Parts: sequence; C-alpha cells; structure tokens
Amino acid sequence: MKKFNILDLCIEIETKTSFHCEVYDGIHGDHTILIKPNQLKPVIDVILESFEYCHLSAITVQQRNDQPDEIEVFYNFWSGSGFSLMLKLPVESAKLPSIISTIPGADFYEREAAEMFGIEFTGRNETPPLLLPDDWDQGPPFIAKKEKNG
Amino acid sequence: MDKISIPIGPQHPLLKEPLSMMVDIAGEKVLGGSLRLGYVHRGIERLAQQRTYVQNVHLIERICGICSHVHTTAYCYAVEALLGIEIPPRAQYIRALMCELERIHSHLLWLGILAKHIGLETIFMHTWHDREMALDIMEEISGGRVSHAANQIGGVRFDLDEEHIDMIRGILKKLHSQVDGLVDIIETEPAAMARTKGVAPISPDMIKAYGVVGPVARASGVDIDLRRDAPLPPYDQLEVKVVTHPGGDAWARTFVRAEETRVSLNLCEKILEDLPEGDVSLRTPRRVPEGEVIIRAEAPRGELFYYLRSDGSDKPARLKVRTPTLATLSLLPVQLAEINVADIPVVLAGVDLCIACADR
Repeated sequence: MKKFNILDLCIEIETKTSFHCEVYDGIHGDHTILIKPNQLKPVIDVILESFEYCHLSAITVQQRNDQPDEIEVFYNFWSGSGFSLMLKLPVESAKLPSIISTIPGADFYEREAAEMFGIEFTGRNETPPLLLPDDWDQGPPFIAKKEKNG
Repeated sequence: MDKISIPIGPQHPLLKEPLSMMVDIAGEKVLGGSLRLGYVHRGIERLAQQRTYVQNVHLIERICGICSHVHTTAYCYAVEALLGIEIPPRAQYIRALMCELERIHSHLLWLGILAKHIGLETIFMHTWHDREMALDIMEEISGGRVSHAANQIGGVRFDLDEEHIDMIRGILKKLHSQVDGLVDIIETEPAAMARTKGVAPISPDMIKAYGVVGPVARASGVDIDLRRDAPLPPYDQLEVKVVTHPGGDAWARTFVRAEETRVSLNLCEKILEDLPEGDVSLRTPRRVPEGEVIIRAEAPRGELFYYLRSDGSDKPARLKVRTPTLATLSLLPVQLAEINVADIPVVLAGVDLCIACADR
C-alpha cells in the first residue's frame, strides 16, 4: 500500500477546494490537518478521491480542561499510515455536518459523539443513542458541568 | 408478503453477548435490520480519566474477555510513547508472543462458534479443545487464562525461562497438526461449504465505505494488516504473511481466520527462536509528560485504535478506544438484507462480533 504523505494531501486539498491547510503537529503518531466545520465534507470528498484505500478509524472528541468553551473533534483516517482532520467547535452550539452519506461507517461514531459530547450532526434523519440508555437525562457525560455560582 | 419485525436479543440463545437486533422479514427472506448496543457499556473511557496510568492497565484489560492482552499492549505502547521510552526487546517479543497466542485462541473460539451455528458439532468440539492448548500456554506463563496481566508500563510482568519455552514449543507443535486438520476440513467438507459458500458476501467497496477491518476485510480481498503495514515492535522485525481471499462470503472469512491461525502459530515459533536476551521491564515515572498519541494495533478482529492525551499528571486527560467490532457492526444491518432467515446465525457468527469490545 502506498505510504501517505501529509504534504501531498494538503496540496491536493488546496488545489481542489482552495481551502488553506493548517497542519497541527501535536499528535505523536498521526499527521493532522486543522480545518473548519464548513470545510469538512469537501475535504472528506477530496480524501476519498485521493486514496485507493482509506478508511475512517474513529471520530475522537474531547474537551480540554484549559479550554472548557471548546470541543475538539478529530476524524481519524488510515491509508497506509494514520492521519486526522481536526476541528474546533463551541461547546454551547456544537454542530457538524453528518458524513454518513459519503462514509456510512461513520454512523456509530457520530451517534457516540452526539450522546457523549452533545454534538448535533446536521443532514441526517435522527441520531439515536448508541451506548447510553434511552432514558438517559443527565446530559453528555464527557462535558464538564458548569459550577453554579452563589 | 407482509413484513414482520422480529426482535432478537439483547438476551438470546443465538448471541453470546447482549446485543439487540430488530430483523425485518417477509416469508423466508430477511429485508433488513437495525441494532441497539450499550447493554454492556461500562464507561471505561470515562473511568480511565479518574484512575492513574498504572491502575488503568487493569481497567483496560477488562474491556474484552477474549482480546484483553492486545488492549493493554496498545495502551502501554501509547503511554510509553508519551514517556519517550522504548521497552527492552525481550519485553517486546513477549508482548507479541501473547498477542499471537491470543489471536490463535480467538480465531479457534470463533471457528467453534461458527461450526456450532451451522450444525457441525464435531468441529466445534475439536476447535474448543484445541483452543484450550493456547489458553494453557497463557495460563502457564502469566497465571491467567483470560486476563493475563502480562503488560505493565515499561515492559511485561514476567520472563520466560527455558522450561517455559520447551513447554510452549511442545504445545505449539501439537496445536499445529490439529489446526492443519481443521483447515483441511474447512477447505473440503461439503456440509461446511454448503452452509457458508456464497452466504452474505461483502464487496471491497462496502469494506471501505464502512471502515471494516481485520479478517473480515481481508476475506473480501482488502490487503491490510497493521502487523505488516504499521507495525508496533517487534513486528517490524518479523515477517508477517497476510492472508487474503477475494471471495467475500462466509466461507472466505472462515478460510482467512483458519489460515491466520497457522500464520500465528508460525509467528509464535519464530518469536521463540528470535527471543532476545535481557530485561523484561523498565522503571517508569508515574507522571506522564503532556502530549497526545495515537496507537494502532492489529487485534484478532482487526485494527484497534487508541488515542491518549496526557496533561502532565498521573491520570489520562482523555483516552479514546475504537475497537474493530464497532466498525464491523455498522455493516451488519446491510449484510442481513436479502439473506434467508436460516442464514442469520451464519452472518452473525461469521463476522466475529465482540460486543464487550464495542460497548466498552
């Protein structure tokens, strides 16, 4: 399998979409490109066109303690080696376009991200819970609850 | 013909673990289905944030009762990458030996379940008997049949002496001849072929779209195996033969796993032959420097994904685990469409589901 090259992918994305690619080098073991939510679907289309074989390994989401108003979302791909797309969303209105029309295997990952982090995925009919009970009413478990003043 | 929806699970004789399925049928044809997970969700990713890195080794091992060792292997390599250390070569080889023994027992367990579902009780008895040999080795060297507690951050918890190595070689030799016989049966037995050939085929395009990995992907001709393509040590020193088959049906998935069992047996022998001398563990600090890492390992069911972020404390700031079954499960409703009702067990058993892994 042909080895992945981050620069080739950045050039491909910039040529086909005219988006500027910013590389995030914080993750040991994977190359990461920082994009904006509205760029997600076009960039994924470019990725799927660019590789003979490429799969979505996971959607990783996290909220950092030092940036509590923000959620970080990683779309982790693998094509000979690993690479990720990184997006930052406001925690109060975390919205992303669903990608299940192009990558149907993302269904479970989106459902998990929705129930665990409260992300709303637009463009899909419904986002039923994946792991939590149907009657779960305590909010997304991974989002830090704001302390009440007074 | 009217559509009827049949609930299967979460507790059902067909399933070894809790999973809820709603299968739509019309007469003998299955029209499709939907899944509900979460019946064994333990919140392990969240729990990991509340425990120290050392305590988490024991927590992570309990994600799965079959591939427990590969989980701790991926986790320990992730922590060691953030610590910036490389464990001693002997420890790397012992980790890999346990990974391969785990693959052997996982594949034989699965083969037995499939055989039982298609009415081949004799193969079921043989495979589960043979699987015990792999479990015996793991119990003898680690003390545990299922949870081996072999890994620790910085290496492994035990060493192998000459007596162990002789014992392992003796059992592997017996196991090899047993597995050869099983592969012959799978390749020639008309009853096994009649129940699996052409059943629930998956095309390479479907594999790619659903991100399906491991033996299921390889049985559809997709040539990926992380032991060769993105090797953790010591697989970069070992030659891993990747078994693929273009068939894509239940028979191809059976064939690939049976052949992979033979490949793993050969790898075990090679690991013992090349086993380096030296220590098996390093002392490591309890606090892990700030950083993020992604580790991928080839579990018995395929790509196992770990993301770990440290904020510099003695507890992970975030641990994300994506198990191979989760990817395979998303394809299951599609696989169920257009098959016969009698083939539902073949499809369910054929993809080798591990619900505990998927639920975490």
